[in-house]
Amino acid sequence: MARNELILNGVTKRFGGLTAVDDLTLKVEEGQIYGVIGPNGAGKTTVFNCITGIYKSEEGSINWRGKEIRGMTPYQIVRRGIVRTFQTIRLFSEMSVAENIMSGRHIKSRQRWWHGIVHTPASRRDERENWKRVEQQLDFFNLSEFAATPTNSLPYGIQRRVEMARAMAVEPTLLILDEPAAGLNDKETLELLQTIFRIREQGVTVLLIEHDMDMVMEATDYLTVLNFGKKIAEGTPDEIQEHPDVIEAYLGSEHDDDE
Amino acid sequence: MDIFLQQLANGLTIGSMFALVALGYTMVYGVMRLINFAHGDMVAAAAFVGLTVYTQIMGEATSLGAVIMIFLLTAIVMACIGVVLERLAYRPLRTAPRLSAVVSALGASLMIQNGIMLVWGPQMRIFPELVPQVYWNLGNVVISLIQVVILLLSLVLMVALYLFIEKTRMGAAIRASSIDQDAARLMGINVNRVIALIFIIGSSLGAVGGLFIGLYYRGITFNMGWQYGLYAFVAAIIGGIGNIPGAMLGGMLLGLFNAFIAGYISSTWADAFTFILLIAILVIRPTGILGERVAEKV
Amino acid sequence: MQQIQRYGYILFIAVMAILPNLLNSRWQAVAITFLIFTIVALSQDIVLGKCGMFNMGQALFFGMGAYATAILNSTYGWPILATIPVAILVPALFGVLLAGPIVHLRGDYLLVTTIGFNIVFVQVVQNNLGGITGGPNGIFGLDSLSLFGTTFLSQLSVYYFAFAILLATLWIMHNLDASRAGRALHYLREDQLAAESIGINSRFYKIFAFALSAGIAGMAGTVYATQYSAVSPEGFNFIQSVLFFSIVIVGGSSVPGILIGVFVMFVLPEIFREFATWRFFIFGFAMILAMVLRPRGIWPARFGRIPKFLIKESNHGT
Repeated sequence: MARNELILNGVTKRFGGLTAVDDLTLKVEEGQIYGVIGPNGAGKTTVFNCITGIYKSEEGSINWRGKEIRGMTPYQIVRRGIVRTFQTIRLFSEMSVAENIMSGRHIKSRQRWWHGIVHTPASRRDERENWKRVEQQLDFFNLSEFAATPTNSLPYGIQRRVEMARAMAVEPTLLILDEPAAGLNDKETLELLQTIFRIREQGVTVLLIEHDMDMVMEATDYLTVLNFGKKIAEGTPDEIQEHPDVIEAYLGSEHDDDE
Repeated sequence: MDIFLQQLANGLTIGSMFALVALGYTMVYGVMRLINFAHGDMVAAAAFVGLTVYTQIMGEATSLGAVIMIFLLTAIVMACIGVVLERLAYRPLRTAPRLSAVVSALGASLMIQNGIMLVWGPQMRIFPELVPQVYWNLGNVVISLIQVVILLLSLVLMVALYLFIEKTRMGAAIRASSIDQDAARLMGINVNRVIALIFIIGSSLGAVGGLFIGLYYRGITFNMGWQYGLYAFVAAIIGGIGNIPGAMLGGMLLGLFNAFIAGYISSTWADAFTFILLIAILVIRPTGILGERVAEKV
Repeated sequence: MQQIQRYGYILFIAVMAILPNLLNSRWQAVAITFLIFTIVALSQDIVLGKCGMFNMGQALFFGMGAYATAILNSTYGWPILATIPVAILVPALFGVLLAGPIVHLRGDYLLVTTIGFNIVFVQVVQNNLGGITGGPNGIFGLDSLSLFGTTFLSQLSVYYFAFAILLATLWIMHNLDASRAGRALHYLREDQLAAESIGINSRFYKIFAFALSAGIAGMAGTVYATQYSAVSPEGFNFIQSVLFFSIVIVGGSSVPGILIGVFVMFVLPEIFREFATWRFFIFGFAMILAMVLRPRGIWPARFGRIPKFLIKESNHGT
């Protein structure tokens, strides 16, 4: 069995004349918390969209556990253990928190389409087991009290947690978080950090984009810095903080911590 | 060859009527993202209003001046109805789920269609002969004065609309609103006025289309709006809905297509072939011929 | 709320079970029509309400089931009840074939193609393609219901036939709601991209929704053919599809909402027969009014069907 490694090699994504991601190469190793940072418009989210199959990159290879996943559809990639969250939270907004998390159980459920018409003892058992798993996620993310609440009536910070709980319900091998701290206050960011560490303890590799530099430096083991779609540096947080190009392109241009 | 030329002439005539009606659909869709199902019935209503203007106001006069007055009065009446319709049935639903507005449009369609029936009766009425019956024989091809009038007047109206949209300030406001309503509002464009204007233009062009249908086919019925409306709507989609030159092109193409189906195959299959064409176009190119592809931002 | 709903269902089923015995034959016929159109509207709800696909051609599948029954009965002499599997499978199969190329189309484009399918169907039937549909007059003189050699001539038996099919439909809808497939449809309606990003094969489930919905509508078609012992093209016109579409949206995509919608569209006109010419004018007005006053429908669908054990004591109200 190949190791749980994600290797991008020469990935390039263009939109018309604009090259959003330019010849990107990076390697996420099993058990890492890996960060991708860069100024606005650097192409970070586009990289994630390429990995998760929402976009297809024009060139390069995206290799996951020794298999090429470039060109697969999002749901095929999810079945291989890669799950993501969105920068602009995308929950099933009229549905309850528990139902949202239950959606993550979709690929683990053994029900077939005809169980949507007629239930069998096995499908009822499967249904119950999956709701039990939802209960575990509700506990893990401290969301039990909101189980029956429609997500569109919840505060932003809690919605972020629901989205992570939904992703974790899939039992992924690689969790991709697109700006998980955006819109969170300091206390919530701290909780998020702890949650990410707890997720790693379960053996899940984490790949994240983040703007909050303090949080990135705290959380990640290894970083890649993008600017205008190109990788300008990679290394441990300490190395990155010292890197002259990074200071020039990113830290230097944005003094404001809130950005 | 004779069939070809004859159907070419017929197709262009029908096509220009489709195009005029299609413009109403496409302009409303462009700004409001709403299929105005009532538009076809507005077109039918225009034919009946024209009939009443002719008998009650113009005293059945068919001089050039009287005919122009009939067109103008009908267009004004229909423009007013269009504005009222938007105000009462669509404006309250602008922020509602999209399907609510669609159902409201369907409701408006039923109301107008059956309103015509209640006022003018369920039986077919004969539209007056406003344009003299003059025919020219070019070889074995017959072309009537009505066809020439319809084609020329439609072209003039379409060119005028195109210039208005492209060259004037109000036209620019319409274009801006159809690209991004919120941004247009922030830039100081009164979107409510733009929408009212669109209903005025769309309804009056539809009114002209309705009068043409009366002139050309003579027999008008209260429920004919569905038929012509659907065809015009298909034309708008084929051209790329929301796109004004697209509606003109789509109308002409659909008119020709229909005429050739009727000429070479059978008119009893015209509907089926039209919709098979539509489905094929949408499957191959989901945004129509001149429509632009829009990518969803993730 | 859920308690009320459950008692509501029991009460509804009890009333509907007794009802035809209290009605004369004209009102029995109206009641049968109510049952048939409720089944079709519920089937439409699977595609339109649950999965959020703008389908305006449901009369096509309804008609296909009715014609399957009529053709098998009149041309090949099958008993009515024996035609049911075919009346389910043929529309379901067409649901798959027709939905396949179009489910990726967005909103209004899907709406137009489904209108197109409906119109093509009616024209094919009218032009008597293959010589089996009877052309504009349709097919008439179908047999009555029969089972094990006994023939049931009464209208009452047709009523209970329709009622049984409605109960089966409600049971399927109930099962669907508490299943992986049914939830997948809801997720797709709410946010397709998010649904795909947690592993849902959107294409598969959209086609599934069309097929299931078509099968149920086809079953209603069998009842329709039985009630009138005839089928003809205008019964499955595009205008019928418009009505089913409107019922689901005006009703609010819930079972009670759909029942109200069907009642208003098909039963009220029977009560106010003297206003028959005003019928559609008033409907049109009512549709606008209902949408302006209640944009989400008269009785909007509610979510939150989650197991009780997930709702904790500390729940501070929702």
